[in-house]
Amino acid sequence: MKNDRWKQRITIYVFLFWLVGLTLLIVICPKETVSEAERRRLAEKPELTLDSVLDKSFMDNIEKYLLDHFPFRNAFRRVKAHFAYDVLLQKENNDIYTAGAHASKLDYELKETSVKRLAEKMAGLREKYFPNQMFCYAVVPDKNYFLARENGFPSMDYGRMVTLLTEEMERAGNARYIDILSCLSIDDYYHTDTHWRQERLFHTADTILGAFDIEDASGMQEADYQANEVKDFYGVYYGQAALPMEPDTIVYLTNEVTESASVWSLEENFHNGKVVLPDETAAVLMPVYRTDKLEDMMSVDKYDIYTGGASSLQVIRSPKAATDKRLVVFRDSYTSSLAPLLLGTYREITLIDLRYINSALIGEYVDFADADILFLYNTAIVNQSEMLK
Amino acid sequence: MLFSSITFLYFFLPLVILLYFFVPQRGRNLVLFAVSILFYAWGEPVYVFLMLAQIVISYVLVWLMDSFRQKRTGRIFYVLSVFLPFAALFYFKYFHFFAQTVLRLETKEIPLPIGISFYTFQIVSYCADVHYRKVKRQRNFITYAAYVTLFPQLVAGPIVRYSDIDQTLIKGTGFSDMHVNFERGAVRFAVGLGKKVLVANVLGEFVAEVAALGQRNLALSWAYAIAVSLQIYFDFSGYSDMAIGLGSILGFSFPENFRYPFIARSVSEFWRRWHITLGAWFRDYVYIPMGGNRVSMSRWIWNILVVWLFTGLWHGAGWNFITWGLLFAVLLVFEKAVVRLCGGISRLPVFLTYFFRHAYLVIIVLVSFLIFHNESLSGAVSDIQALFSSGGYIAVDTGETERLVWAYLLRNRIVILIAGIVGSTPLPMWFWTRIQERFKTCKTGEAAIHVVRGLLTVGLLFLCTAYLIDGSFNPFLYFRF
Repeated sequence: MKNDRWKQRITIYVFLFWLVGLTLLIVICPKETVSEAERRRLAEKPELTLDSVLDKSFMDNIEKYLLDHFPFRNAFRRVKAHFAYDVLLQKENNDIYTAGAHASKLDYELKETSVKRLAEKMAGLREKYFPNQMFCYAVVPDKNYFLARENGFPSMDYGRMVTLLTEEMERAGNARYIDILSCLSIDDYYHTDTHWRQERLFHTADTILGAFDIEDASGMQEADYQANEVKDFYGVYYGQAALPMEPDTIVYLTNEVTESASVWSLEENFHNGKVVLPDETAAVLMPVYRTDKLEDMMSVDKYDIYTGGASSLQVIRSPKAATDKRLVVFRDSYTSSLAPLLLGTYREITLIDLRYINSALIGEYVDFADADILFLYNTAIVNQSEMLK
Repeated sequence: MLFSSITFLYFFLPLVILLYFFVPQRGRNLVLFAVSILFYAWGEPVYVFLMLAQIVISYVLVWLMDSFRQKRTGRIFYVLSVFLPFAALFYFKYFHFFAQTVLRLETKEIPLPIGISFYTFQIVSYCADVHYRKVKRQRNFITYAAYVTLFPQLVAGPIVRYSDIDQTLIKGTGFSDMHVNFERGAVRFAVGLGKKVLVANVLGEFVAEVAALGQRNLALSWAYAIAVSLQIYFDFSGYSDMAIGLGSILGFSFPENFRYPFIARSVSEFWRRWHITLGAWFRDYVYIPMGGNRVSMSRWIWNILVVWLFTGLWHGAGWNFITWGLLFAVLLVFEKAVVRLCGGISRLPVFLTYFFRHAYLVIIVLVSFLIFHNESLSGAVSDIQALFSSGGYIAVDTGETERLVWAYLLRNRIVILIAGIVGSTPLPMWFWTRIQERFKTCKTGEAAIHVVRGLLTVGLLFLCTAYLIDGSFNPFLYFRF
């Protein structure tokens, strides 16, 4: 009978061992500040105050803290992903699916009101800032455009999106649509990330320049650039998919044009309520490729190497450009890697990200007169245009 | 605090086990009371004082009621002991709805204290049971407070009556029973956690995905209805399993709350299998005192309507819950009428009778949970319409994109839907029992069964932890009641 006791108690022992063991590990394991796999800063330990207890924020935040700093967090997430894929036979995990070497995020609902809102936004900006100028606009397709249907996943009706947008803009008049969809293929995107690859954007850059009636003014070809590599780039989908994937390599292209160019960002030139403009001697200017962002995890996203990542307003000046022309781009993060390829042509490129700056304020910093104007948004922004201020 | 949270699993639960089993028997109720207050205050740092006030008031009123039992004042104290908890429940849960719909007044919505419906019913049942001498008044305040606040069942049931656990509260459990209870409780808790995290939450994601669509086809509409019902079942029965399991770990024997409700073949049978403790509470404290079924037909119908109106309202102050409750009242009366008319005799073969009765019940349950799930009646009508006809959510003219989305959503969740359907029947338990019987014939086999049970328990904890770390979809549906 005594010999049988261990059998009856084995569940108790393993149950307690699991609970207490993990509790101890949670307490003693060193805490990270950044999750490299998920490319985000991890939650900090919340402060215990009477207010934070009464409004329950302490309880919510301590749970977030514990979830973020759970021992072997990535291994647990991987187990969950495998269970979802291999046992529940789900085709996605956290809305991320894989097809071949690529990971992509499911996004299939076309929000027509959002597309119309973007058209209204573009027309409104034109009316306010450049009423007599023609402008161009283009849509950067997300990876689903190439991957989804042929792999059995739903995707939004891109044809309908473009038709809707162009119909609306035709009504507004004096706007030209640039079809860059046909310039791209799935190979032009990173495997683990949402973004396109700079080294494969020459055709796209030429198509955009062509829309502004510029016939390769810089005369620069792919061979005129030096390819520099940043290894082990784990894109945004890598962290969300939580599956083992080979990292990408970021290639950034340099030459004497890009090396002589400088980037002025509003955030880095905003001090004590005052803005130091690009022409002022005190202005902080940065190189086009921010390799410093790769050091000491200064940025959790290696894609930030392109012009420094998210910024409300940037002005890139290129003293060795072939023309004196200026370009103003209303953009999202995709333009960060495209813009350096246009520096051989434009002496100045202004990048405006309306997700971070109110459109009512840009007149203070941007001169639209005689500039080429481009709206370049990826399909996710077109479909969620309410985020544009 | 959620059972399915890291805070609970890896801090609160080990702390409770450590404290509870290391203090002497006489101090355990104090430990239970203290940790239960911490558990509740973690989710309701302000309303914890409301609950404490209700405990003190009911304790004093029952004391006075018992002291003045032979006098008229004793009855007044009894009425007060029942009235005051219901008054608080009415104020927090129904006043806004009542003011808006009956008085046509614009009032501000009052935040609902978590679990108020559950602990109100426990307090009232205790007061009534003492009044009717079904149980003896608990003189020790800590023991009484430990009964009301007992954290495993505090916020989402099962509704435990004082008589269910008074012996354990007073005498504790023996050492030999402790190990058996603990093992059983650990397994039950892990199974409940798995039902909640691995099934209900995943089905909840599917429900949210389909609900976000503008239109859907017939197959997806039925899958949606099935998913809604299964999500509610696994969410709530998972919580009940965890509560019963935790109770068992601590040496308590809580009543069962679910007994495979989807295999029922009539509405009355369904309610003997679904949320059993709530049904029993209404039966014992409302239906039977009103005369039950030993009254005239018209009075019986009235009794049924009242009980099911309250059952609906108990779940929430909304027309969907009232409709949901009254639907069951009508169906119960209908079933009774059919039985009377047919005399319980069917000309169909037995298996066909079983099939039709079960099909009837399943359709009724699916429809009823669509009403339950929807906050608005119009949403429920559209969902139900989509099961049977064109219109509502059913698209008349659809494009290829919509068809792709519908097919994909169904394909993506087909395994969890099938697992949910199978898991809601006794089949998995039957299977596990057969395996145990087969292996327990030899010593090695018996040992293997114990090892496998232990590993499965920890395996479930491991997998649920992985889901909690990665996921964000983790609401408990029954917390709102």
